[in-house]
Amino acid sequence: MKSTERALPSSNLRKEFIVNGDLVNIRDRVEVGAANASEEAGNSRQTFLSPPEFLTIEEVARTPLNGVDTARALSDMADRGPQARLFVYRPEGKVVRYEVFEDPRVCLDVNRGAVIENLKEKPKDVSGWRTHDFFIDVKGCLGDECGRCAIVCPENAIHLMGKGKGSFHEIDPLACKGCFICWVECVRTAADCILVDGKTFDPGMRAKHFGE
Amino acid sequence: MAIVLAGNGAAAWGFRLSRVQCYPYYPITPSTACSQQISRWVHDGVLDAVTINAESEHSAASQIIASGKSARAGTATSSKGLLYMIEVLENASGGGIPCGLFLGNRATGAPINIWADNTDAYAMRDSGLIQIFAADGQETVDSIIQGYRIAEDLSVRLPFAVNLRGFTGTHAYEGVEIPDQQEVDRYLPSYIPFYPLFAAEKPVTYGAMLSAYPYRRHKRNQMETLRNAGEVTLQAGKEFGQRFGRSYGHFEWIGDDKAQLVVALLGESSCAGEVVTHHLQGTEGVPGVALLKIRLFSPFPAKELTQALQRAGTKAVVVLDEGLNHGAVLPPLAQRLSTAIHLHLGSAGPKVASVIGGLGGSEVRQEHFQLMFNLAENIAEGKPYRPEPYWLDIEEDPIFVDNEGDVNSRLWKKWGKVWKKQQRKEKFCAPIPPDTHEIRIYSRAGQGAITSAVGYTGAGIEQKYQLLTVPAFGSERRGAIITTDTLLNFQRSRKIRSFNRAWDVVVLYDDTILHSPEHRVLDGLKQGGVLLVNTSHMGVRKIRQILDASEERVKIFTVPADNISVGIGLKHMNMPMLGALHKVYDKVSFEPALSYYERNVPRPREASLEAIRRGYAETGSQEVQRVKKSSGPAVTQEFLDWRPEDHSHESWPSALEEVQLG
Repeated sequence: MKSTERALPSSNLRKEFIVNGDLVNIRDRVEVGAANASEEAGNSRQTFLSPPEFLTIEEVARTPLNGVDTARALSDMADRGPQARLFVYRPEGKVVRYEVFEDPRVCLDVNRGAVIENLKEKPKDVSGWRTHDFFIDVKGCLGDECGRCAIVCPENAIHLMGKGKGSFHEIDPLACKGCFICWVECVRTAADCILVDGKTFDPGMRAKHFGE
Repeated sequence: MAIVLAGNGAAAWGFRLSRVQCYPYYPITPSTACSQQISRWVHDGVLDAVTINAESEHSAASQIIASGKSARAGTATSSKGLLYMIEVLENASGGGIPCGLFLGNRATGAPINIWADNTDAYAMRDSGLIQIFAADGQETVDSIIQGYRIAEDLSVRLPFAVNLRGFTGTHAYEGVEIPDQQEVDRYLPSYIPFYPLFAAEKPVTYGAMLSAYPYRRHKRNQMETLRNAGEVTLQAGKEFGQRFGRSYGHFEWIGDDKAQLVVALLGESSCAGEVVTHHLQGTEGVPGVALLKIRLFSPFPAKELTQALQRAGTKAVVVLDEGLNHGAVLPPLAQRLSTAIHLHLGSAGPKVASVIGGLGGSEVRQEHFQLMFNLAENIAEGKPYRPEPYWLDIEEDPIFVDNEGDVNSRLWKKWGKVWKKQQRKEKFCAPIPPDTHEIRIYSRAGQGAITSAVGYTGAGIEQKYQLLTVPAFGSERRGAIITTDTLLNFQRSRKIRSFNRAWDVVVLYDDTILHSPEHRVLDGLKQGGVLLVNTSHMGVRKIRQILDASEERVKIFTVPADNISVGIGLKHMNMPMLGALHKVYDKVSFEPALSYYERNVPRPREASLEAIRRGYAETGSQEVQRVKKSSGPAVTQEFLDWRPEDHSHESWPSALEEVQLG
């Protein structure tokens, strides 16, 4: 049995996880004399977090990759038909591994493992869910001084327009589902700011919705 | 060079050679030792992985799924632990996460039962995992390496489970070839996840809610990838054979190429079937027989199996299931096979009968396979048979009945017509002469019998014999009488993993066992076999008197192992007993064995070796006048404080560990 300390592989830049016997301790990363170690950790972090690519035959033909036997890959892909893909793994731009395979999916619109790629997600039209229309009045909005409504919006429907003085927020009418959260959370209690069905702050409506 | 490993140790090696990066676990009998071994390796720094002591199997499964999104992950479990995992395992298959499970198959209560059957594996069959059944330690280490290869194939990307029968698989010590790490690295490249979590360039969401339209389309895709796993398994098994010399496929066809009678089953119980098949192959009047040892249970290789049956011209298949499918027409394996035959071969296919056996640790012995082959021939001759499962070892409801009076009248009313037509045949059921030598140790739990038997196994394997040690594990506590059985096979041509229960040597670690009403030590001992007793105050004549046995019946030897150990300062008398065993049974030569012990004996090394030598020297069959001791060895506080868990690192083969650690 050894009782020496060792660090767990981790992508955390500031903390390191030290195994000592049966205990794992967290401590600040030591910079001194750890240049090599951190470089190593950096590499492993890179390999860990880099997603592979799946290229079609057209994409491979268009942009030949350094480190890939393109001619052979193309002929292999041509043999396999339209579902052929080139699996390429190139952390930091350097090709580490590639392989031609046939995409096994029958329905190509659903990702492997039904995984959703967040950046590819298209906004959906949820305007049909609303019973009231919401509109931010430029006159009342504090612009980039506030931004509270944009933070609390669960649908990410509120966007800051412009910069500095004269900036204001805008509600995307397709993404707004009419939940009233911005209206409740507004630092100006929505006075002259968020209009509901064209009306400003109305204690009657507030009472109706929230029993205040 | 083979090293001695139990099935669990072999599984741990499978994960280690696969360079598993994350191993969360929650221990459960009988797969605990696998996790224990990996945890120790990680602690010692020989395996660069993260282990997590999960708070439940549910968490352990969730953790392999979460880590499997970015790293190679695995865990081991059994029985109820697996049932607890099933809730989340569908997220692994649905999310396309190629993590790995090792399952020591065990029954699922109630009633609570810690012993082997396939009920847990059957319970997970709809979870969408690749299910591989291994039959011994060697197949386990190979299958786990192949499992990652199959699971991470670009056209598959699904989780897998490697199954091994509890105890007779997971706790059976035998020689296992450990593949070379560099060669494994070439066979199994490092894992590149499709959608790693926390990849800044491509943030992803796993397990998002999808409505009917994308859901059904995803499930269509998922089924397609699981179907691909069948073909990939063949390729992976073939390439494994090219690299390591052991090929694997969907199933193994053991016996005649043109077998009319086939018994099909999963996993370790096939070892007894192999002996029967080998025996029946040369028997006069028996049509071709074969054992169909199915390795890939899910995705079920329906086409390949039915093609094999058709090529052989099989007329009857008897399917043994070590588990149930409550309320179904047939248990899972029989159901899959008969559906496959019906769809691929129609009425031209062989007839399928189902047998349920091996439940909750019941042994599937050689005579059971004889009955099943007999049943298969009756069916092939066109005799009627039950359209529901037969049962093994239920005396009230046997497969064959000679007289109406032997069974309950209600059962006779139901099955009498079938029983009358079915006959037990001597050509199938004649006893099989044993091809092996077998040693049984009776000891008290805590005396170290398993340690010495495993050492003996290692010494035998080094002399190029095939040995197998199966300890009996049960609900006993320290001090209870337990058995440890060792099988020795001197034929180089084939592997035998099935006990005949005809002992060449019976060893008693404690002379009080002679008086045990429950353990009749001469039962099963071959005529003229050897009895070795650890005693310091009993003579051979006295033992003969207690057992009421003649000199032709049994040769008796005694050794004062307690005295030797106390004299040397050892707390266990297993080492002198190991030496004594070599003296009374010389098939495994003592001198070369001693050189094995010098390298591998548990610490303290010198004292243990001295004990072995003295045990060997002081064993005799003569009436020796011994000094009667007024009391047994002094019981020290240290002895009373001894707990097995404090000594769990003192395992065989310890030499290997030291080499690994440098």
